[in-house]
Amino acid sequence: MTTLAPVAVTGVGCLSAAGLDFPSCMAALFSGQRQPLPPESFTSTHPVRYPVFEVAVEFPEQRGVGKPDVLRTSRLALVAAAEALADAGLERDQLRGLRVGVCTGTTVGSAMNNELFYRQFKRGERPPIDPIVKFLNSNPAASIAREYGLNGPCQTVVNACSSGTDAIGLAASWIRAGICDIALAGGADELCRVTYNGFISLLITDEEPCRPFDRDRKGLNLGAGAAVLVLESEAVRKGRQKKARARVLGYGSASDGYHLTAPRPDGAGLKRAIAEALAASGTSAADIAFVNAHGTATPDNDRTESQVLSEVLPGVPFVSTKGYTGHTLGAAGAIEAAFTIGCLEQGRIPANIGCTTPDPAFPAAPVLVETPVGGSVALSESLAFGGNNAVVILGRDA
Amino acid sequence: MNSQPMAIRGIGVVGGFGSGLHALEAALRGELPSPGQVAFSNDGREVVLPAFLADTEPLAEFLPKKALRRIDHYSRLALLGASQALADAGREDFDLERMGVVVASGYGATRTTFAFLDSVIDDGDRCASPTHFSNSVHNAAVAHISILLGITGPSLTVSQFEMSVPSALLSAATWLAEGRVDAVLFGGIDEYCDVLGYCWNHFFGSGDGGPIRPLELQRQSAILAEGAAFFVLTRADGAPSRYGTVQGIDIGHQSGQNLPVADDALLLLGVDGHRRCGSLYPRQIPAQADVVSYSPLYGSLPVGPAFDMAIGALIRAGGEIYPAPVGADDGCSGRVVRLPEAVAGRPLACLKCSGAGEVSIINLGE
Repeated sequence: MTTLAPVAVTGVGCLSAAGLDFPSCMAALFSGQRQPLPPESFTSTHPVRYPVFEVAVEFPEQRGVGKPDVLRTSRLALVAAAEALADAGLERDQLRGLRVGVCTGTTVGSAMNNELFYRQFKRGERPPIDPIVKFLNSNPAASIAREYGLNGPCQTVVNACSSGTDAIGLAASWIRAGICDIALAGGADELCRVTYNGFISLLITDEEPCRPFDRDRKGLNLGAGAAVLVLESEAVRKGRQKKARARVLGYGSASDGYHLTAPRPDGAGLKRAIAEALAASGTSAADIAFVNAHGTATPDNDRTESQVLSEVLPGVPFVSTKGYTGHTLGAAGAIEAAFTIGCLEQGRIPANIGCTTPDPAFPAAPVLVETPVGGSVALSESLAFGGNNAVVILGRDA
Repeated sequence: MNSQPMAIRGIGVVGGFGSGLHALEAALRGELPSPGQVAFSNDGREVVLPAFLADTEPLAEFLPKKALRRIDHYSRLALLGASQALADAGREDFDLERMGVVVASGYGATRTTFAFLDSVIDDGDRCASPTHFSNSVHNAAVAHISILLGITGPSLTVSQFEMSVPSALLSAATWLAEGRVDAVLFGGIDEYCDVLGYCWNHFFGSGDGGPIRPLELQRQSAILAEGAAFFVLTRADGAPSRYGTVQGIDIGHQSGQNLPVADDALLLLGVDGHRRCGSLYPRQIPAQADVVSYSPLYGSLPVGPAFDMAIGALIRAGGEIYPAPVGADDGCSGRVVRLPEAVAGRPLACLKCSGAGEVSIINLGE
């Protein structure tokens, strides 16, 4: 594969349980604090109240950009998009004169699964159709496009937990191909009973705050959030003399073809995704300053990632930031790409919170304390249900 | 917008018309399929709706039944379409590690999504079904394709309602253009479930039983449907392709400029009997254009453009334009093709307008 042109990132927006905007999220990562709590937005009958990383329940309505006529996932996406556009210095009117695409990852945001509606339907009642109308109005990518009157390509990626990473890689391709001038790329997901019950049913949810790569890890904690990056063509960026905050240097993805919910133990798919991303970016393992790992804290995921990172990127420091945000599913890859950019800017990565005793069976361990990093290139990776592995390589101008 | 051209190397289809290209061709030659029926209880009464349902039994030709035990209807539709397309293209000619899988779906695995909720509602949160949960994710179909057909290139699932197919196709084209893959197994899938039936009945009533009269734009005649249409796509490298090529994909909005259409193009209209969407088509159709709609054969479903793409490829392969299966028109711009005509070198274009105002064109060349 030939090296592809870097694509400028000119704006970043992000919200999660760690913070309600990107600077707050970054500050939280280096504060070493986290506070997963039992869910506030719904109840369940599990004997254990599994902790989650929730975005404040009343948010994003407080911000004034979350429209009540769309699902919470889209409202989260709209908040992140607004922050990213402001960071990029782009006003609504400027967007209307450009070809602007939207590529957004999600899981919950594309699932027609309103439980109250279905309970009524199942009882043979005639439930009001409003939840369906709301769902039909809530495609995350379309919601952003509609909000800003955009008429470029619109794509909601539903690749499960790698959706956010894939969305950034795909949108970068659109910019390179000249399909659009600007792309809003990222991911968003809300918490809901369906995913809460679902992950508990798979026995991969921890009753305690999650412990990525730790010997005693029991699984993930779910989270909510969104992140959006503004990707911009060089012609438009130079035309408005906007400095790139970072660049998407490469993207790779590959399927395990192994199991619906477990990663391939030898990590063959992840290795191929990393190799593709390195080749596309024209970088090598020696150039990678750090890795933002998927690090869900499930036994299988962390084992595979540790094995692969030790083989492919030996000695490169890595961290899972899910200990600060929970697993935000379709948003995770986008949030972690944003964190990767923030860490490159600050020249440091946070401690892999939750890991006190790295699994001794693992060939590689994450950083346990805040760690300075040199270099200007970093890698963020996501492993998904369905066996998709996605990797994005981000760089900062020297 | 547009993209690099892609050659169509193989096709697989399953829907209310049957399974396989021969079934679709038979429908195109005049064997208009009759819809079946779906029924569900609601508010003390039984609601009966016409529907084009798809039978996945022919999947046994491609995969052992044992391998399909825990695989739901949605993924079986995908596996059947994908297996046919691969067989048609000559599976042995492809390096499956260099093949991507791209799937478009309006609603995903709805039956399994609600089956998961059944497990919660019937037996409580603690008895939620892990099997249903893991199969309810939109990309479950891609996962099963990857696992059972051994395809390990990149994968992508896109859900954009009626724009799912053109949007996903755009990404398939960029993958090929960038050299990420040598081939893409591309498909559209949607399935029926009773909740969709309930919603359909709420929005559109039970209809008159068909057929769909797509070119009577002010008439609500849609019939809900399920099915899958798959393609093996490669870069158009100059080698002949019997099904022709995808020359480009354009996506826009009714509020913007009209999408470009060649003056001599035959437009395959994705209009499928929905009055609200039908009224959006005339603006996009050049006055001199020839038009046809084949939705009476496959029904109304979000991934309808994938079936139009398959029919366009068959037209290219056979050299003849199939006449509109239900020809009456009212308010439709352009000249409706009512008799078989030679396609010769004419460009074909699949036009889709969504109720949300989005517009797409998939241009098909020789």
